[in-house]
Amino acid sequence: MPIDRRLLFYINWPLLGVAILLFLLGVLNLYSASGYRLEEGMSIAPYFNKQLIWGLMGMFSMIVFMFFDYRHLKTMAWPLFWTTVLLLLAVFFVGKTIYGAKRWLDLGFMNFQPSELAKIAVLIVGARILSKEREPLDFLRLAYVMGVGLILGGLIIKQPDLGSGLSVLMILGGMVLFRGVTPRVFKTALVCIPCLLPLSWFFLHDYQKQRIMTFLDPTKDPLGAGYHIIQSEIAIGSGGFWGKGFLEGTQSQLRFLPERHTDFAVAVFGEEWGFAGTMLLLSLFCFFLYQMVVIARDARGLFGSYLAAGVFFYFFWQILINTGMVLGLMPVVGIPLPFISYGGSATLVNFCLVGLVLNVSMRRFLFKQ
Amino acid sequence: MSDLYNHANQEPPRAGLILLQALILGVFCLFSIRLWYLQIHHGEDYARKARENQMRQESVFSPRGLIRDRNGDLLAVNEPAYALGLVREDCPDIDKTLHQVAAWTGRDFDELKKIYKKKRRRVKPFEPLILISDLSFGEVAMIDANRLRWPGLEVQVRPRRQYRYGELLAHVLGYVAEANEKEMEKRPELALGDEVGKQGIEFMLEDRMRGVKGLVQFEVDVNGRRLQERTLKHPRAGHEISLSIDLGLQKLAMDWLEEEAGGVVVMDANTGQLWALATAPSYNSNDFSSGLSSEQWAELRDNPLHPMQNRVIQSVYPPGSVFKHVVAGAGLHYDMLDPKETVNCTGQLKLGRHVFRCWKKGGHGKTDFMKALVQSCDVYFYKMGKKLGVDRMSEFAMNSGFGKLTGIQLPHEKSGNIPTRKWKRKRFGEGWQGGDNFNMAIGQGYTLVTPLQVAQFFAGVINGGKLLKPLLLKDDKTVVKGRIPLTPEQLKMLEDALIETVDSPRGTCRRIRTKGVIVGGKTGTAQVVRLTDELKELKDAQIPYKFRDHAWMAAIAEKGNRKFAIAALVEHGLHGSWNGNMVKAIIEYLFDGTITLKPEIKKQQAREARLITVPSKKKKPAGAQ
Repeated sequence: MPIDRRLLFYINWPLLGVAILLFLLGVLNLYSASGYRLEEGMSIAPYFNKQLIWGLMGMFSMIVFMFFDYRHLKTMAWPLFWTTVLLLLAVFFVGKTIYGAKRWLDLGFMNFQPSELAKIAVLIVGARILSKEREPLDFLRLAYVMGVGLILGGLIIKQPDLGSGLSVLMILGGMVLFRGVTPRVFKTALVCIPCLLPLSWFFLHDYQKQRIMTFLDPTKDPLGAGYHIIQSEIAIGSGGFWGKGFLEGTQSQLRFLPERHTDFAVAVFGEEWGFAGTMLLLSLFCFFLYQMVVIARDARGLFGSYLAAGVFFYFFWQILINTGMVLGLMPVVGIPLPFISYGGSATLVNFCLVGLVLNVSMRRFLFKQ
Repeated sequence: MSDLYNHANQEPPRAGLILLQALILGVFCLFSIRLWYLQIHHGEDYARKARENQMRQESVFSPRGLIRDRNGDLLAVNEPAYALGLVREDCPDIDKTLHQVAAWTGRDFDELKKIYKKKRRRVKPFEPLILISDLSFGEVAMIDANRLRWPGLEVQVRPRRQYRYGELLAHVLGYVAEANEKEMEKRPELALGDEVGKQGIEFMLEDRMRGVKGLVQFEVDVNGRRLQERTLKHPRAGHEISLSIDLGLQKLAMDWLEEEAGGVVVMDANTGQLWALATAPSYNSNDFSSGLSSEQWAELRDNPLHPMQNRVIQSVYPPGSVFKHVVAGAGLHYDMLDPKETVNCTGQLKLGRHVFRCWKKGGHGKTDFMKALVQSCDVYFYKMGKKLGVDRMSEFAMNSGFGKLTGIQLPHEKSGNIPTRKWKRKRFGEGWQGGDNFNMAIGQGYTLVTPLQVAQFFAGVINGGKLLKPLLLKDDKTVVKGRIPLTPEQLKMLEDALIETVDSPRGTCRRIRTKGVIVGGKTGTAQVVRLTDELKELKDAQIPYKFRDHAWMAAIAEKGNRKFAIAALVEHGLHGSWNGNMVKAIIEYLFDGTITLKPEIKKQQAREARLITVPSKKKKPAGAQ
């Protein structure tokens, strides 16, 4: 298929640019977090190299995701949904158990996690359903939409993988909010959700309750679970205004900061680049998210809008939860920060989704009426 | 295709778009404020915390002060002990490491895990948590050789208290052991695993004995290896002290006490310094510094002879005839005693229907003051007691140092008991009776004293009446705590009676006569129970050990300016004269340096005496004869 030159012209270059910039900052930060100061054989340099390779693969996938017409996804939505459900079910029977949870399918050359696919599937199916809704959702329609999410989310939570399961529900939930609900639904939710939240306490595992308790008072267990939070705050706080400088973060370099290349990567960043650097990083993320709002606004057709909104929430929740946790505003949950935290498949998926919204953006002037 | 695009011209929901932008703005504001709070507002605090965090600090142990005897011989020293510490932060797999430690040292994994769990809450992740406090050299070598493969393990050298003569001086020196929660609360400078004095001098002089810990600061890398080290504070060793105890004399006394339960005090009558403070049976102070096993503890606790008891200051006994000098003193003081006046002793004295007997069945006949003391005539003192009454006797006894603490620098001293009318009413709900006077006058009944009080009193008799605070440190200044209320002439009379008891052919202390030394003495036999008729029939050697009388001996010895008072007590040792050989050996040592050890045969007899079983008869409290 010959590529229309106008497609290149309409690509949202700022989004593309900021995504790559964020990735590069992440790699740079990872280099520092890898502990270059440590002696040979002790550093985690392999993480740094791996991340670069995954990033390159991600960017390639991003291009692939740009150059087919996203509107075909609309017809593929339901087949994709059912495929995902089948794969999630398959996990229960032929899944591979790692760290005590059955989450993986062994594909021979790599371990595949269907819950990752579910996150993509949910935003495509969600976009398809919601784009057909002409009115704000009433109870019935809301139940239908969330039912779809509950099938996917429920299967994932059962694995058990509470984090991914809730992510699926939260992405869909975000999209529902974007669509809007009737005032009655809104008011009911406003009353019911705060009442139901405490109930969920009884469904949590002990370690999850522990985390929440620790979050509320990290000093209660300063050497155990509260250690992460305290060390993270020390690392960030000690950065001051200008930071200690690249590779100069003592907390991260001397390994007082745990999980510093994955979940707590931004603490390393905060320590080395200070308030100035972290505010810049925060601004880049805001800009990144804002570009998706722009794409959702300008998209030709509601399906594209919802797709962009879905991707928006995909990133938004991660940024909110990860940063909130690192800053000590939320309990510790293992959610990475897009592009900054180390993680191969996550990086791949991130770039694919950026590709997807770029795809929406570059086709915004096609088929004008 | 048309289905694909049929909503193409619909507008995205406006409210939704506004919501997304609001979310971005909200998160941005929230995080900005939080960043400002952490990095700007509290930036300095966190920066300080970060510095403390990467710069680990470690204590440098300071050795406790050495302890010497009066001649400079070392009694307590410090030896390096090797402890195994685990630094959690550096240890990748605690369980695996503990298994390895168990394999190396032959200790139980579960035991190690228990120690780990118990201590982990109180030790910072980057501080060594002491798993084992006494590694052997072999274990140290093994662990050191494998250090690099097992990050997080570290061998610490810390001084450990070592007592050269573990059992000889246990009750004087006491011991050290790991500080408990309460002690750590009281002394904030103590850390988990630090040793503190728990008993004896180690406890009393804790602040002087313990040094000041030093502090080093170092930067650490991933594996807890030190990059740079800097001494922040040099450690300072504890103060050295010299006891007034003479090691040789202490050894001699302990040898004589061997196989007995009892105590000996040797006091310099001029200064109050104690040259020997022996109590038996004893325990080994060293057992405590390396941590007592529960079996060892149970053995100490359940031993019927109570080795942890310091019999010289913590046990109280009826003084028996040793108390007659106190009663005689009271008689002189209140001017109710004419030394020339005689009493006819027929071997017994009646009070109402009750008969009070003299120890000598046939009686002493005409007995004056001197004869009464030298031959220990009970009847003379029954009459004396009746004449004086409880009020005068107890007043004089208390003014002579009985019934109150001597103030020795050892914990848990007991004051004993000097009865009064008020005391008896409170204690038994009944008034003082005539018979009580009789009993009190011969040192039986309710009167209870410690051997140290006896030594203090007899030292006073020969030093002009000064009641000296017993001192344990060579450098301590003499403290006069009170005076025996007697004139020098009256004191001289008591002293003469003591000397006569040794010199006179009929005296009870003839066997302690020592050439070239003026020696005086008084024996005492303190009843433990009122013997039943059945037991009375038995010969001494057949009376069960625990029903036998306690044997006392108080002695004085002087030559030139050197004056000593000695008090010896052997529990269930039958008659006081028994102690004579021991006291003579002590006097010989003090003035000639001669060492006479206890013959094996005596030790054997003592051992056997304790084996005689007790017939199943009810025990009755000590009382009148």
